[in-house]
Amino acid sequence: MLAFELERPRSLQEAISILEKFGNRAMPKAGGTDLLMWMKDRLVTPEVVVDLSLIPDLAGVNFSKDGLRIGAMATCTEVLESAAVEDHFPALRDACLSHSDWLIRNRATVVGNVCSAVPSGDVMPALYCYDATIRIVGPRGERSIPINKFILGPRKKDMIAGEIVTHVFLPLPEGKSSGCYLKLGRRNALDLAQVGVACVAIDGKNGREYRLAYGAVAPTPVRALEAEKALQGIKAPDDALLEKVSALAKEAVKPIADVRAGVEYRLAMVGELTKRAIDTCVERLKEE
Amino acid sequence: MTKREVHFTLNGRSVTYEVEPRTTLLRALRHHGVTSVKRGCEEGECGTCTVLLDGVPVKSCTVLALEVEGRSVLTAEGLVGKDGKLHPVQQAFVEEGGIQCGFCTPGMVLTTYALLKKNPDPSEDEIRLALAGNLCRCTGYTGIFRSVKRAAELLKDQA
Repeated sequence: MLAFELERPRSLQEAISILEKFGNRAMPKAGGTDLLMWMKDRLVTPEVVVDLSLIPDLAGVNFSKDGLRIGAMATCTEVLESAAVEDHFPALRDACLSHSDWLIRNRATVVGNVCSAVPSGDVMPALYCYDATIRIVGPRGERSIPINKFILGPRKKDMIAGEIVTHVFLPLPEGKSSGCYLKLGRRNALDLAQVGVACVAIDGKNGREYRLAYGAVAPTPVRALEAEKALQGIKAPDDALLEKVSALAKEAVKPIADVRAGVEYRLAMVGELTKRAIDTCVERLKEE
Repeated sequence: MTKREVHFTLNGRSVTYEVEPRTTLLRALRHHGVTSVKRGCEEGECGTCTVLLDGVPVKSCTVLALEVEGRSVLTAEGLVGKDGKLHPVQQAFVEEGGIQCGFCTPGMVLTTYALLKKNPDPSEDEIRLALAGNLCRCTGYTGIFRSVKRAAELLKDQA
């Protein structure tokens, strides 16, 4: 790893002023499980690393009647062990559990997974389904942005030098809901997704509503809005509808071929996992 | 870059290391003779550099040494009793043959120790989930899973 200076600010204000001062020569660090490896491979070469772990405002997972606030330093383990996440955001719980392994989940953060913005990031499809908002502070104050506007492309996000993501906010689904994240990898642990599908079903005031989001099959995570529309209001989709929905889902994604899978395989799996994810959500809502 | 001091508790003793900002906890520990912590892949995959940081298992190649300021680090050396007696988790690995070349063993032992603190009676699935980040290329894991179950028994007897 190239040499760098490490700053460990104890307040947000201090962190922002360091990041602003050094501009593109500085990078913020949460868990560091991506950043340190990227630095080792010289994919990024910051002169100053700003460790956010001592800033109290960034810690923890908090649940209120409005929704869930996941602080920038909350690890995947903290999030998946949160009772509120298990009760109200099961797709996010599945996603955290599918991420890497126990030891890495004890360091890696959910917000860090978003900020890394890699197409296969496991927590993102679930956050897309839950309509998550990214909360940012910077030299010009605070702002809020929907996650699908925040992620711009592989490793690209809508942020300027000096800004820090303080937390992600997930509004509480309006109605009884179920959710899941199905990850296809070559093995169960320590693997990047070939395809990741998050599905959430909500019994809201306009009847049953579905949300479907996909990872690793486009430059950014994507929602399959047409597929969602086709399912609107239907509590027990039959095989014909599931076929139609899975075809619509395939139209929403644009996978590439890489070392982990080819295009045809990824598309076929988008179709198959879509059906399974919907089935899982429908069954889970019946059980309750 | 200039070296800076980091003060932390290592296996119950206060220590001070001088490290560069880029020095990982893994490299700092090995440089100071704590060689149970192995340098395997050094990219967060293999788990041979596992340590417990404030009781939580992490891969020390993903931690900067300066980040452990004021915190507590436990390595396999710290599990051994003052009289040189192996910890029940270590003893279980010896008895059940959960070891072949031994390179992964300190990490396996520490993850097992952390698992059993959290969950004294884990199921087979829970054991597999907990150890998923510690790779072994010799044993095929069956001896290791037996060792974890044996360790759980030994710790129960001790309690």
